[in-house]
Formats: sequence, C-alpha cells, structure tokens
Amino acid sequence: MTAEPTNFLYPFIDSEERDSSALLVDLAASARGKMAQSRELQLATLAQWAGVVETVGAEMAARFARGGRLYTFGNGGSATDAEMTAEIFRHPIKGRPLPAWPLVDDRAVLTALANDVGFELVFSRQLIAHARADDIALGLSTSGNSNNVMHAFGEAKHRGLMTIGLAGYNGGAMAGNDKVDYCLVVRSDSVHRIQEAQDALVFELWSVVQRLLADQSTLEGSSK
Amino acid sequence: MPNPLMSDERELAIDFAALESAADNLAAAALSLARRFAAGATMWCVAPNWSAHGRHVAVEFVHPVIMGKRALPAIYVNDDDLLGALRVLVRPGDLLCALGTAEDGKLTSLLRRSEAWGLTTTWIGAGPRPPASAADHLLWVDGVDPEIAGSAGGYVVLYHLLWELVHVVFEHPGLLVEPPACTDEVCITCSDEGRLVEVVETREDDTAVVLAQGHRERVDITLVGPRQPGDLLLVHAGTAITALEDSEL
Repeated sequence: MTAEPTNFLYPFIDSEERDSSALLVDLAASARGKMAQSRELQLATLAQWAGVVETVGAEMAARFARGGRLYTFGNGGSATDAEMTAEIFRHPIKGRPLPAWPLVDDRAVLTALANDVGFELVFSRQLIAHARADDIALGLSTSGNSNNVMHAFGEAKHRGLMTIGLAGYNGGAMAGNDKVDYCLVVRSDSVHRIQEAQDALVFELWSVVQRLLADQSTLEGSSK
Repeated sequence: MPNPLMSDERELAIDFAALESAADNLAAAALSLARRFAAGATMWCVAPNWSAHGRHVAVEFVHPVIMGKRALPAIYVNDDDLLGALRVLVRPGDLLCALGTAEDGKLTSLLRRSEAWGLTTTWIGAGPRPPASAADHLLWVDGVDPEIAGSAGGYVVLYHLLWELVHVVFEHPGLLVEPPACTDEVCITCSDEGRLVEVVETREDDTAVVLAQGHRERVDITLVGPRQPGDLLLVHAGTAITALEDSEL
C-alpha cells in the first residue's frame, strides 16, 4: 500500500477514514480528467501521423492485394493489442476480411521458444517459420524498447517484410531504427494513454487499408 | 510535439461523452473492487467475443504498469463451457468482470448466476443497455456501436481507468473495510424478498441442494416441481417459490 509522503505526521488519519463519499467524487473527477487527456492525446496523435498513416495504409493495402499476411506482436497489454489488431483485420466490422495473425496466440509455441532459445527470440523465430517477402510485421511496445519486438523487426526486415512499429514515450530503440520502416510514436509517458492512442492509430490504419482496397475493387470491377 | 490546435478538426471513432457518462459508475466500481480485493477476492475476467480485452483486463491487475503497485489476482477465463468452468473456480466473495454486449448469451447466463455464486459483478459493454440490476456495476458506453467500442479504444479506456482508480482507493486504507451488509431490522438479503439460488442437485424428497451467495443449503422445491442442476430459483424462507428463466436479466 502506498502511503502519502506526509502521512507520518498524522498516523491515524488514513486508517480512521470511514466516509467514502468524498473519495467517490474525487475518483469520478479523476476518471473524467483522464478521459479528456486520452481524447486529446488520441486527436493529437492522429493529427500528427495522418500523412504517415496514409502512406503505411497504402503499402499495407498493396501487400494484402499481392497475397501478403499481417503478423502482429507485443508483450503484456501490447500482446493483447496485437491480438486485437489481428482480430479487427481478420474479422472486420465492415469491408474485406484480411489475413492477420498475432504471434502471441499459441502458448505452446511461445513457451517452447522462450524455454529453448530465449524470450527475446519468441517472435523472430516464428517469422523465420512463417514469413514471406510480401508480408507485414507490426510490433507494439509502449517503451519502444522491447527486445523480442526489436529482434522480430530485424528478422522481418531481413526477409523483405514491411515493418511497422507503434511506440510511446520518445520512441525508444524503435525511433530512427533502420529495421523499422515506419515508427509511429505516441508522445506521452503514460502507458495507458499510449496504448489508448495506439488503438486509435490501429483503427485509423485499418480504415485507410479498407478504403484503399474498396477503391481498388471498384476499379477492378469497372475494368471488366 | 503535436500541435493541439490541430486536434479538434478530427473526429474520433469513439464518442468520449458516452465514456464520460460512465465516470460515476467507474468510481463506485473501483471502491467496491478494492474492498473485495482487500478481503482476498480473485477477479475472474470473461469476454467471450473479445478475448484480447479479457486478457488485457487481467494483465493490468496482475502485472501493474506502475512499479510498486500491488499485483492483484485477476484471471482471464477462456473456456467453451464458461459456466461449468467458473462454477467450480469461483469462491464466494470473488469478483466477476464481464466484457461484452447485453445480447451475449454466455455473459447473461453467467451474470444471472452471480448472486447465487456470491460474486460482485462489473459489466463493461456497449449497445442496448441491460437492466441496471444485471450487474453490481455497469460500465456502459451508450450510443456507440459495440464493435467500434471494442476495436477503436472505448472499452480499453474504461478498464484502464478501473485499474487506476482501484489503486487510488488502496491509498485510503480506512475505506477498504466494507461497511456491514445488514444494518437495518429488515434486510433484503436475509428476510422478506426472495433470494436467487442455483440448483446443485435434487433429492427424491422434493428438496434440492442449492447455492445461495456461494454457500450450499437445502430448500423445499414442492412448489416449483422437478428441477435440474443449473436451474435458477427464487427462494423465500427455505422454500423455492419461483423458477426463473436463464435469460431473464
């Protein structure tokens, strides 16, 4: 339990606090304040990366059109965001379902690789097995420093994949790294707010890919 | 840094006004969760259509993003037989965090039983609202398509904040003590009104062993006729007075 730094002056105050009404008001106000921060950061992030998202979406759409797959990866909350990213491409709310798979999905593969070759290689080893040059590697790391994510980018780049990194803070090891074709940094130092803005970026990327593929299939349709 | 003046020119997929309307419920949920955790509860996370979110909720609590915050027991359950799995896993006093829509039959069936199992429930969802009584704490994103709330960063804001607020409550040790449940002479839980129970097994003498608030007791089922394990009953003074449909939330 974290104590306030000044609590030693009033040793009985916290433990004798019984009325929760003031705390509930504070909690709700804190929730509203953080929601406002999340919204501002999401808007600012989308505005900052609008041009890049368009470029990345176009290359992703071209790779999907050539039969490429999207592989996603990350650790912890970012692993679940990788799972969600693959999910929204594979089972879209509208538009075309696209081949996307999270490399965090299979506990047998993850534990086998972690146990036998090391946790830093759990994603790169899967790319060695699965990846082709037309594929796309998308890694998430709020710090931008996750070792296994960086190893996966190295392997992906080596195999001709397109590499996309989503990071937070100042981008960490991902920023300016030649293994990462496109590094989209959410400028914040709160892991939660970073992940929320990354989700907004992923959704925006998905929207751009869907729009471009829809335009393309319209063109294909009209040429017949 | 991004230019904040640019911000308002864009629209987000998520309507944040809808999220903000959940702020008061978030506060109440955080207080309740912190008290249950302090008393030793495990939080069971279920999200049949959004395993990514279910896992994300659990990992937030088990492995805090802020160093020094305590690890709390939260487990994501992924089982084709969700009811069967949770029925044996939960202990009375545990927490259930459900994520999904009011149309999700697996969730409604589970939430329906939470009172019989003695669980405190939080339900994160979007789309048409379930009745307020469907969960102890409803964190609902009104007016937003559930698929958008799930994929464009709506649910995630709610459960991130739930975690953050639970840890704020932990900084108030005096408030972690749950107030006594029965303070009045007439208490809903133990007197006039029917209690919801789940049948565990039936006996040949027109009685059944049921789970009531997570504890086994024997009740008379003469009035409601033959019953199966898993059936839900309303019980008053040791007698089952009504058989309930699974889907009635």
